[in-house]
Amino acid sequence: MKALTAIVRAVLHSYAEIFFLQSPVVGAILFLTTFLNPTLGVAGILSVLAAYAFAKFLKMDKTFLETGFYTYNALLVGLSIGFLFKISVITIFFVLVAGVLTFVVSVLLANVFGTYFRLPILSIPFAIISSVLYLSVSRYTNLFVTSLYPKFTLQVLEENVPYFLAGYFKSLGAIFFLPNVLAGCIFALLLFGTSRILFFLSLVGYYTGSAFLFILKGSWYAAFADLSNFNFILVAMAVGGVFLIPARQSYWIALVAVLLSTLVLSATEVFWAAYGVPAFTLPFNSITIMLLYVLGLVGFPFVAQVIRKTPEETLDHFLTFQKRFPGTLRTLHLPFAGEWTVWQGFDGRWTHKGQLKYAYDFVITDEQGKTHTEDGSELQHYYAYRKPVLSPVRGRVVTVVSHLPDNPIGQVDRENNWGNYVVIYDLRGFYVEISHFAQDSLKVREGDWVEVGSFLGLCGNSGYSPQPHIHVQVQRTAEVGSPTLPFSFVSYVANQEFHANDLPPEKSKVRPVFADSAIANRLSFYLDNTFTYQVFDQDRQAGSVSMTVKMAVDGTFYFDTGKGKLYFGRDAGTFYYYRLDGRDPHLQMMFSAAPRIPLIAEKDIRFTDFLPLKISVGTFRRSVLLFFASFHHAVGTSRFVGTIRSRGVLEGTVYPVGSATPIATRVVLDDIFGIREIRVGDRKMVLVETTFGED
Amino acid sequence: MKKPYEKPVITKVETGLMNKFGNAPYYARKVRTAIDGVSIDALVQQFGSPLFVLSERQLRENYRKLYRAFAARYPNVQFGWSYKTNYLQAVCAVLHQEGAFAEVVSLMEYEKARRLGIPGEKIIFNGPYKPVEILEQAAAEGALINIDHFDEIADLEAVAKKLGKQIRVGIRVNMDTGIYPQWSRFGFNLETGQVMDAVKRIQAGGHLVLTGLHCHIGTFIMEPDAYAQETAKLVQLKYSIEEHFGYQIEFLDIGGGLPSRNRLKGTYLPPEILLPSVEEYAEKITQALYDHLKPGDFPTLVLENGRAIVDEAGYLITTVVASKRLPDGRKAYIADAGVNLLFTAFWYKFTVEMDRDLPGVNESCVIYGPLCMNIDVLDEGTSLPPLERGTRLIFSPVGAYNQTQWMQFIEYRPSVVMVMEDGTVEVIREQEDLSDIERRERLPEKLQLNSIAAE
Repeated sequence: MKALTAIVRAVLHSYAEIFFLQSPVVGAILFLTTFLNPTLGVAGILSVLAAYAFAKFLKMDKTFLETGFYTYNALLVGLSIGFLFKISVITIFFVLVAGVLTFVVSVLLANVFGTYFRLPILSIPFAIISSVLYLSVSRYTNLFVTSLYPKFTLQVLEENVPYFLAGYFKSLGAIFFLPNVLAGCIFALLLFGTSRILFFLSLVGYYTGSAFLFILKGSWYAAFADLSNFNFILVAMAVGGVFLIPARQSYWIALVAVLLSTLVLSATEVFWAAYGVPAFTLPFNSITIMLLYVLGLVGFPFVAQVIRKTPEETLDHFLTFQKRFPGTLRTLHLPFAGEWTVWQGFDGRWTHKGQLKYAYDFVITDEQGKTHTEDGSELQHYYAYRKPVLSPVRGRVVTVVSHLPDNPIGQVDRENNWGNYVVIYDLRGFYVEISHFAQDSLKVREGDWVEVGSFLGLCGNSGYSPQPHIHVQVQRTAEVGSPTLPFSFVSYVANQEFHANDLPPEKSKVRPVFADSAIANRLSFYLDNTFTYQVFDQDRQAGSVSMTVKMAVDGTFYFDTGKGKLYFGRDAGTFYYYRLDGRDPHLQMMFSAAPRIPLIAEKDIRFTDFLPLKISVGTFRRSVLLFFASFHHAVGTSRFVGTIRSRGVLEGTVYPVGSATPIATRVVLDDIFGIREIRVGDRKMVLVETTFGED
Repeated sequence: MKKPYEKPVITKVETGLMNKFGNAPYYARKVRTAIDGVSIDALVQQFGSPLFVLSERQLRENYRKLYRAFAARYPNVQFGWSYKTNYLQAVCAVLHQEGAFAEVVSLMEYEKARRLGIPGEKIIFNGPYKPVEILEQAAAEGALINIDHFDEIADLEAVAKKLGKQIRVGIRVNMDTGIYPQWSRFGFNLETGQVMDAVKRIQAGGHLVLTGLHCHIGTFIMEPDAYAQETAKLVQLKYSIEEHFGYQIEFLDIGGGLPSRNRLKGTYLPPEILLPSVEEYAEKITQALYDHLKPGDFPTLVLENGRAIVDEAGYLITTVVASKRLPDGRKAYIADAGVNLLFTAFWYKFTVEMDRDLPGVNESCVIYGPLCMNIDVLDEGTSLPPLERGTRLIFSPVGAYNQTQWMQFIEYRPSVVMVMEDGTVEVIREQEDLSDIERRERLPEKLQLNSIAAE
């Protein structure tokens, strides 16, 4: 039974994929719609099943098959055959063979494109195979051509819808080889219901392309009558909504892509027409893939790294991700303990210039802002002098210089600018250089492995250093003084605010926070931990929920309730919820109560986070908001402000977009393990049972 | 004005040069006319004599200096304010504002911390005697209980069963850190393996979760290396417990005992010369941590400081009420405050300052208190010029232990005031009167004396 459900889902996914969606419901409607033309419907499903059965026969991995990713091309090929030929034993056989062939080509191309270009295959296999089939059938006289006979259409619609609308609907229908107004209407409704952004793009794409054709051809009728205009729809949707993050810039590019595709379309039509073959999706495929490749090459900021089930979800994920995780991937911890002051930051006033501009200097200051006691004439007066310097990264020590003397105050060593220093190679592919150690204080040697927080040495005043301070920079190569690279600091507190990954401005007082093991231990979930919560709504019991810790194939962990998966993880000093798959109100509650938990115990530390609209806003409002957010990204995330009230107690406020009423939240960690209480507004979850899985 | 008659004495002439102990007798006479800008005269006029004066500024400065010395060297540092050193509410409040937890050692101190508004989770509960009722309250409120002996394990397990929850606890450890005397009466001994027995016992019970280690090596420790040894041993113990029992040791509490800038009797050099700086203690302790901890593992370092923070913030103003000449020729003064108020006079030699500059050469003298007891001596031998009656003497540092160990013996205890950072003066404990002393007394009916008089 379960296996059957999986097959049905996979097959339905193949249908939805054609509109770039991942939804069995959409797939089911599309599947049923294909039976407006029964021949089409039968041929389509047969082709998919043939591909699926072949894949099964090859014992292909289950996860590959669940998506419909390798079978939607087979579906298109099947449809193209059904569109042309009447169903007969021969046709069925023909369809099955074609389905398998498409599958083989799909896997081949997916691998080549994915590995060498990091590009999707779209419907290239379909365009190739169908063209091949259409060419080959001119030899196969045994096949019964149906395309010359009338098919089912709703005449009322066909006759009464104005031609400029009919053109759009027919084109939309033509994507499924159903070039009639009824099918088009169904698809349009389906698109609108699933994704406003895709629907909008389909309109924009179609009419832009058609208008351009009109300019070139001079006839509105001719412009709207060409069924191959569905290529415009596909191009606009793929470029503007699927492979690029929905944004104004992406929409402009989608328009350009549509214009480009008109030329390719006309050219293809001229060429293929000589052989009696339609253009299929060739223009869409060639333009989309070319553009994606080029955009990726030049570093266009809105190329989607993560593609979710709908453009709305992709956008939601992108906006939240962008706001939640600013900073860089070259993340350093602050290289000291306690509170220090930023003396000079990137592109600083004194020495951080040119190639050496990505560097930070730190000193210690007192309440009066001074860096020393007494008159500051002796090194010993300086707060920073002989304070421990800790490793900001984990990696291998490649260079150590430790013999240079500490300059007396008022002198600098111009010969050895860097003074006593270490260079550490970080496995992520960069070098960290730290300078001005006290003479002979370095405890590490070349070749040593260091972890974040390993003791390196003591802060001193060697090299070009007018007063004791720590200098840190990230370099491309190991040679001291080589060009510096941008980086950012993780897990620090500035002005009572916790920063997960950011750059502190000059003069700000910053303090690194290392995970408090008491807090971290309570959130160190491992596989098969199961937590059962009692749920309360306004203090009335409202059922209970159990969740179990599971691991995904990529090694990330999630809470599974059966209805949803809440992904979480720990990075530096912070526990994060990353995303929620599926719809589960309880997991949603957990996410919004505290999207991140700094693993520190100090009280009155604030932090800011952002919640995806999926978590923070109701379904209807979300669909409207995300559509507008695609034009104006600033409205696309809900802010969360949290405060650590005491050890293991966190209070927060969610400010949902477009709502004046903030929601109060509270999270209390258990004394021993896990989260004891989660409160969002009037609703509350209380931990009643913890099991630790099998030992 | 005619000078009052004084019996002639022969005194050794001091040349005014520094002697080998770092003192310059003539110039050593110290005059203090104000505390944090508030004049001694004004203080006495308003609040009477004797008078305890605490400086908020000094209190905060000492705390920050000490905290910074550790926090600039190690990422997770937490101070516990040792209540027994001075549990006047105002003092505790200042230090709690600075971020200290409450370190309490008895039922009374626990209740005091709670009444001040400190939540259980910010209370470190030490002490060899914790009555079951307060153990139960502390466990329910999430206080951090450091277990002192096996019987307490049993008590706490009973509490855990009653509360129906596991309790996070620490255990107290005593060890040899190379100093004498070795404090061995608190907690479980490390070298004899008693600690591991205790951990085994805790694990066998299953009701307690061991999360921390505590050790207090002694008081007024003048050797930073003793702390380094203590720290190193605690870290090794932490890993050995984690490895064998699977507990996660989240904090290492190295106790208190850091000295204040006070002068122990029997030492000749002044404290500025004799005592290592707090920086030296911090450097030794944190270096021991870095040397022995696994990289990136930063259990919370807890220190339970008392005297190092509050001692120097406290002054006692007394008034010379009489003078006399002792048979051995020394001058003796009687002050209005004695060991009833300065309990620490038994082991410290305080700095004595006068409120005015007086003429005359210094002479050896003894300062007695007002008690009818031979032991009531504030200073057995100091060097002061002839003091007029009514001269105020200011004793310092006296912030530690005196306001918790003072005794109510034949005298009322005086006011305690705090000079605030903004220059105002607040009474933080009023002078006692008879009602304070008799409030708890009950005179049985048949002993009522007025009824006798009436007959």
